Amino acid sequence: MQDVRLRIASAAVLSAAAFSGLWGAAGAFTWWVVMCSPGVTRGTLRRIAAPFALVSVFGAVIWFTGGPGFSYVARMGVILLVGSWVYDEYRPGEFLDLSVWLLGDGIGFDLGLVAEMGMQCLEILVADFSRIRVALALKGKTRGLRALVPAGFILIHGTLARAGDTASALAVRGYRGGGTLKPGFLTGRFDIPGFISALFVGILAFAPVSEFFILYR
Amino acid sequence: MAAEGSFLPGVHIVSGDVGSGKSTLATALAGMMQPAGGTITRDGIGSQMLSFQFPEYHITGLTVGEECRSWSRDPGPVLRECRLAGRGGVSPFALSRGELKRLHLACVLPGRYDLLVLDEPFSSLDVEEKERICREISVRKHGITIIFTHEQAIFPKTDFLWEISGGNLRYRGKVPDALTGWEHAPQVIKNLIASGRCPGNITKMDILEAACRT
Repeated sequence: MQDVRLRIASAAVLSAAAFSGLWGAAGAFTWWVVMCSPGVTRGTLRRIAAPFALVSVFGAVIWFTGGPGFSYVARMGVILLVGSWVYDEYRPGEFLDLSVWLLGDGIGFDLGLVAEMGMQCLEILVADFSRIRVALALKGKTRGLRALVPAGFILIHGTLARAGDTASALAVRGYRGGGTLKPGFLTGRFDIPGFISALFVGILAFAPVSEFFILYR
Repeated sequence: MAAEGSFLPGVHIVSGDVGSGKSTLATALAGMMQPAGGTITRDGIGSQMLSFQFPEYHITGLTVGEECRSWSRDPGPVLRECRLAGRGGVSPFALSRGELKRLHLACVLPGRYDLLVLDEPFSSLDVEEKERICREISVRKHGITIIFTHEQAIFPKTDFLWEISGGNLRYRGKVPDALTGWEHAPQVIKNLIASGRCPGNITKMDILEAACRT
């Protein structure tokens, strides 16, 4: 889906549908299989493996305490897939376009800039983390809390230092807030049908469908 | 990039432009990354160490003293050596990049590794510190030391020269014979060779000796 406006709107509708219940999650998963699965790579699956494992742990805790653990894991799993799809499709600059289109040159520009910097930061974090893992392995510290704590410190410190440097660079260049930008969007052939089908999944998840089916009642 | 060759015991310098793949090759040589094709055989390598360009990646201690101990080094002498005496209790993140690099190298260089890979060891260091590091590297007698750098002024006593150009790792040979074919050679070395005064090695003293030769 090339048009970031339709992509984000679709993702929002599908995430809400998946979170609302198992039927919504099933609908959103079906949409993901049809629209996204051809583009899924091993990298995509690797990326969601860790958060999915974390969700599974929470699901197990919910299940052991008598709650709907399976439902939680299934719903959150679908949301992770949708989120991963949004990340895969991201092209640098499009969040700035979207934000300015949505909220204008003032607050829209600022929020878009923050979003773009956040996305850039994510890529740097991934690269940094792989180097930290190598460095830890060289010291023989590969797993457990003893490895996680220093890695977390390095990542947080590095991110804050970079944020400070970027803020200084922006200030030096005269940035005081807001900016002018003419947002541009490309809408692919399947973008609108994709968005409409996502909307349909959302309607099915939230609308009181049984009201329309007398026989069912 | 493509690479083929054997690294024998001694000090190797691998030079190349920024972005030429030096760090990638350094990581692969240290066995921390698999090449896309082919194999890297580490014959007789029982212990190895890779030093990243950015020393922050190596930090595991919450204080400078702890960081020294994480390398099995006694903080007292190490901190005196890298001019950080009295700062053993501060966070490593409170140090400047240069100070952290000094601390990191002071912890790594005394190690008796069969293979020591140093990725840009001279970055963030002042001239005085670069010279001190070069002296330490020059006296290493054990194992293979491979230095990936685009440094153009200060080098340790070097046995072998390599460079990365056009996406390939190229072996230039033993120093000083290799100097004539060294594309990334500092201008001063190129000028000396052009005037028929090839230095015996690439240390500052060797270059001075060649420049003063009559």
